[in-house]
Amino acid sequence: MTSVMEKGPRPTQYIGARVLRTEDPTFLTGQARYTDDITLPGMAEAAFLRSPHAHARIVNIDTSEAEKIDGVLGVFTGRDLNEVVGKFTAGVPGRTDVNPQELQMIPADKARFVGDLVAVVVATSRYIAEDAVDLIDVEWEVLPHVIDPEAALEPDAPVLHEELGHNNFAHIEYKKGDVDRLFEEADHVFSKRFHAGRFSPSPLETRGVIADYNTASGEVVVWTSSQSPHLVRSLIAPPLGIAESRIRVIAGAVGGGFGEKCHVFQEEVIIPALSKLVGRPVKWIEDRYENLAASLHAKEIITYMDIACTSEGKFLAFRARYVGVNGAYQSYPWTALVEAMTTAAALPSLYAIEGVQYTIDCPYTNRCPIGAYRAVGRTAGTSARESLIDDIARELQIDPVELRLRNTIPNEPYVSLTGAKYDGGTYRECTERARDLANYDQFRERQRRLREEEGRYIGIAFVPSVEPSAWGSDMGKVNGYLASEIFDAATVTIEPDGSVSVTCGLHNHGQGIETSLAQVAADRLGVRLESVRVTMGDTRAAPYGFGTHSSRAAVVGGGCVLRASGDVQEKMAQMAANMLEVSAEDIEWYDGVASVKGVPTKTVTIAEVAAHAYYGGRSRPADLEPALTATRSYDPLETWPNSCVAAEVEVDIETGRVDVTRFWSVEDCGVMLNPMIVEGQTVGAIAQGIGGALLEDLAYDPETGQFLAGSLMDYLYPSATEVPEVIMEHLETPSPVTEGGMKGMGEGGLSVAPAAVLNAVADALSPLGVNVERSPLPPNTVLGYIREAGRAAEAGEG
Amino acid sequence: MKPPVFKYCAARSVDEAVHVLTEHGDDVTILAGGQSLVPMLNMRMARPEVVLDINHVGEIAGVHANGRLSIGALTRQRVVEHSDVVAHHAPLLRDGVRHIGHPAIRARGTIGGSAAHADPASEIPAVLVALDASIILTGPNGDREVRAADFFVSVFTTAREPDEVLTRIDVPPASPTSRSAFLEVSRRHGDYALVGVGAQIDEDGDGRITSARIAITNVADVPFRARQAEDFLIGQQLGDPAVRLAAADAAAAALSPSGDQHASTEYRIDVSRTLVRRVLERIHGGAQ
Amino acid sequence: MSDQLPEVSDEPTVVTVTVNGKKQRALAEPRMLLSDFVRHGLGLTGTHVGCEHGVCGACSIRVDGEVVRSCLMLAVQVDGCTIETIEGMAKGDSLHPIQQAFQEEHGLQCGFCTPAMVLTTQRLLEESPKPSEGEIREYLSGNICRCTGYQGIVASVQCAARKIADQEAQQS
Repeated sequence: MTSVMEKGPRPTQYIGARVLRTEDPTFLTGQARYTDDITLPGMAEAAFLRSPHAHARIVNIDTSEAEKIDGVLGVFTGRDLNEVVGKFTAGVPGRTDVNPQELQMIPADKARFVGDLVAVVVATSRYIAEDAVDLIDVEWEVLPHVIDPEAALEPDAPVLHEELGHNNFAHIEYKKGDVDRLFEEADHVFSKRFHAGRFSPSPLETRGVIADYNTASGEVVVWTSSQSPHLVRSLIAPPLGIAESRIRVIAGAVGGGFGEKCHVFQEEVIIPALSKLVGRPVKWIEDRYENLAASLHAKEIITYMDIACTSEGKFLAFRARYVGVNGAYQSYPWTALVEAMTTAAALPSLYAIEGVQYTIDCPYTNRCPIGAYRAVGRTAGTSARESLIDDIARELQIDPVELRLRNTIPNEPYVSLTGAKYDGGTYRECTERARDLANYDQFRERQRRLREEEGRYIGIAFVPSVEPSAWGSDMGKVNGYLASEIFDAATVTIEPDGSVSVTCGLHNHGQGIETSLAQVAADRLGVRLESVRVTMGDTRAAPYGFGTHSSRAAVVGGGCVLRASGDVQEKMAQMAANMLEVSAEDIEWYDGVASVKGVPTKTVTIAEVAAHAYYGGRSRPADLEPALTATRSYDPLETWPNSCVAAEVEVDIETGRVDVTRFWSVEDCGVMLNPMIVEGQTVGAIAQGIGGALLEDLAYDPETGQFLAGSLMDYLYPSATEVPEVIMEHLETPSPVTEGGMKGMGEGGLSVAPAAVLNAVADALSPLGVNVERSPLPPNTVLGYIREAGRAAEAGEG
Repeated sequence: MKPPVFKYCAARSVDEAVHVLTEHGDDVTILAGGQSLVPMLNMRMARPEVVLDINHVGEIAGVHANGRLSIGALTRQRVVEHSDVVAHHAPLLRDGVRHIGHPAIRARGTIGGSAAHADPASEIPAVLVALDASIILTGPNGDREVRAADFFVSVFTTAREPDEVLTRIDVPPASPTSRSAFLEVSRRHGDYALVGVGAQIDEDGDGRITSARIAITNVADVPFRARQAEDFLIGQQLGDPAVRLAAADAAAAALSPSGDQHASTEYRIDVSRTLVRRVLERIHGGAQ
Repeated sequence: MSDQLPEVSDEPTVVTVTVNGKKQRALAEPRMLLSDFVRHGLGLTGTHVGCEHGVCGACSIRVDGEVVRSCLMLAVQVDGCTIETIEGMAKGDSLHPIQQAFQEEHGLQCGFCTPAMVLTTQRLLEESPKPSEGEIREYLSGNICRCTGYQGIVASVQCAARKIADQEAQQS
């Protein structure tokens, strides 16, 4: 299929150009293959029985009626599976302040949240499997449950895991600087409790696994909707007892991941085990209820934060206590600390302070476990910190933008008090540009006029940030994963016909890296983009890697493709030099043609060079091996993109409805590979942030422990009418520490957009005395705030 | 999320449908547009023995005006939405239907299905009650007409007998000078409203209100008709802000809604008051 | 009463449909959802399933011209109907102008909502060839995209409207 790109003139260099995505036609014509699109001969389908109770002991499971149904191939309980598969151990290696947890594939003793796995049916169709699930008879002994995380930390709380004896997965403390003195001597100490809400990626494609076990070879092929196929392979191998070399994990098209699918799930072990047990390929596609109730939740943290500052609004020290609101188990392998621990590491953000102190507790509750979601560790903490900073601005009567600028670190590389090594950026400029783009100097007057003359309440807020991206080993360590070893690898091959194959262990599920990495390879090799084919998502085809998450694909993928392309390029130049009888240093490559510097007529094409390399025989230099291929890996140093967003909202004070009317984003992600993709990622993350701020709430009833958001009638994604146009601008400070100067991006909007929306609501309602202390803000909550503030004001007057 | 086993039957006429209902009665669920039923089947919250599909019963689809407005039960919501006849005779119905879901939902959803489903949160039942519509039920003994106010019995419960099929809805025509508006507050565009208010107002030559019909969704277990507010408005002039406010207060004072995770009791009352006032403002503003 | 009463049965029946211009038959038991029938019965996996309760819009296809959610219909209901899916849009290897527009304006990322988004856009532009931004957002509000934040999609629809108008201008 002809891409539109091919019709137009090519840019002088691909990196930095708005190159249209080469993968799009496949998606646009319905030819992409997602997990549920795969059908294998003899394939059976699985359905799970999940707990209806928040906390209950399994007294007995009777599967006899279920087994009688025509088409049922087997019914398996936790006890059955424990006999054939091992366990996961979820912890944080290198930390003594964390209590590692062993995870059974299906808990055999009790259920610990609504949606917990109880049993699984394999049948000839999903319809029949669900019929059988209905007939499994479980005798339950219902136990007291705990939903409130602070109550879960109390000594009399119901204990979820008896072997631990209490509910706290981790208690972590950290202090840097003379914090006690700074707080004692400060002119002001401002404090706030902020409860950031529970929401989740809920990608439009749910999870799904297909496994095909070959009894003769002992090999298994696993299709899974994952962001990290190699990670899946490494982590399912031990409980399955199969060598990694005999497991092939394929993640084809994946309909969104956003962090949820960078974990490894019990079902990714269970389905291969079932394939072996029933002797057929087995497919399981998560349904939307399962995804909402039991995949992974994210983001929820209760933060108690104090800021010590001077009368002039100079921040001296930040102090925080985080209560991470985990569910009943650890997500694997990152654990629930992927949220709370990284939140704490990001506490100072881009503010120049002299002291920082935090504690983290991470209690189990009878809810779905917590995992990573885009901008993990930034959404909740940013909302808490930036909400308090806006409170301070109002209290000290300093403009909130000015207050932030007064405390912003300089642009030079900087080491934060939590040990983060910022690699330099535009920490002030992004905020200043956002302020100018939003015409902030005229906003306050407009706000006053609308309020006084029309009774309309609009508000604005600016939220700057500096963010960890491109997770390699160092970034893992500074975020508390002390034993982190994280890298990726890419193989670049010039095929015998001169076309270029690139493979790597990353995964492309919307980020456009099939295109971005081709841009990188094409520029570095000096070939046309159309001749480069990037493939990912198959452990048998790609070298080892950690997958696409935490804004790492452009930096880590780009870095290893640059390195591998460089190696191949060197060899191509030697081959071409040999053919043209010049020295390799005199060879220049462009559009797949090698020419001799200063002699533009003396050329040889990449196809000729490849033929020379592969089939040239004795005419090839004796010291050069034939294959034009190289595999290189890359583990980047810490790199930290920065940004500032601004949100304008209008609040209907009679209905509590909040409309996000305008949005601005200025970001600096270093060298941009493809601004079109950068913009798409920015808006997408902001939309998810608007969802988290206003709409999405994975609520539980604290009385019954029941889950209240089990369908998309209750869990509300933003639709096209809830997201405004986002005005964007880019600043570009190349990273001095990464290959190619890329800093990575993709998550930023979700770090800051919720805080911007929440603060804009607080700004709109501040004349009414409303203080925002939680998210999300549905109309019911907003009107409740307004009513309370009204009553408080009346009581004050009376 | 797959439906349980059921028997299926596609009726080709009202007679056939009634016959199947007579034979299987309580075990039958009627499938019209399916926009509420099929999600419940998929989640296995509905487990009927027999699904009776009436989508091929062409005789009960279509809009007719002959003294009164008659709308076949199988008329798709999109047809109602775009019908000039409906806009002319029952502007409030058109206004209400516009708030239902999304185009793809309205393409399948039917007016009769929405009425028969009797969700107090949805627009059509509220509008039918406000407009004093008649619901025509056809059973083994022929047609029976039930006033909308008597048709809606409780949440998801109506006066339809198991052997009857809802075939037609008749609406008394509005006067040519009637004006209407429908407003609602929902979490997102197209969602079920937390609260919705529709009103249709007639005035005499002096601008005095001769007829007021006000419906509120999602504030009771049946669609709520704000009779206190309607009675208050008769003889008043909509141009007076105090009148609009007092009508809103009268509507709110009559409510005792229950609260849920999305909207508290207090919320529903406050927002009903606001929306009644705004609907009247909009109707008045539209006349200016 | 009719002489012959309709059958009441849970047995599978043959469903005949015209799909993207071609007549196809496949067996379906009454409870089989149209979405499953299209994907697994007819093998047209370009139609995606996101929620199976009619909210996300990812399974939207066209039945007798109307855009409908295929997870909210039974396969047996489309016997004799005409169905259009994403697989029928491109002509050979040349993309439909709407598909081209989605590529040019970055109207997709993971691609999961895309087929339904494209089909819904096609219907919108039939009804309203020059929709305003507000109209586009409202018309597409029943189709969830979790990736793009909709900005690229809105631009794609506007671009598609221009392309189709240009094409029609050239033809007339």
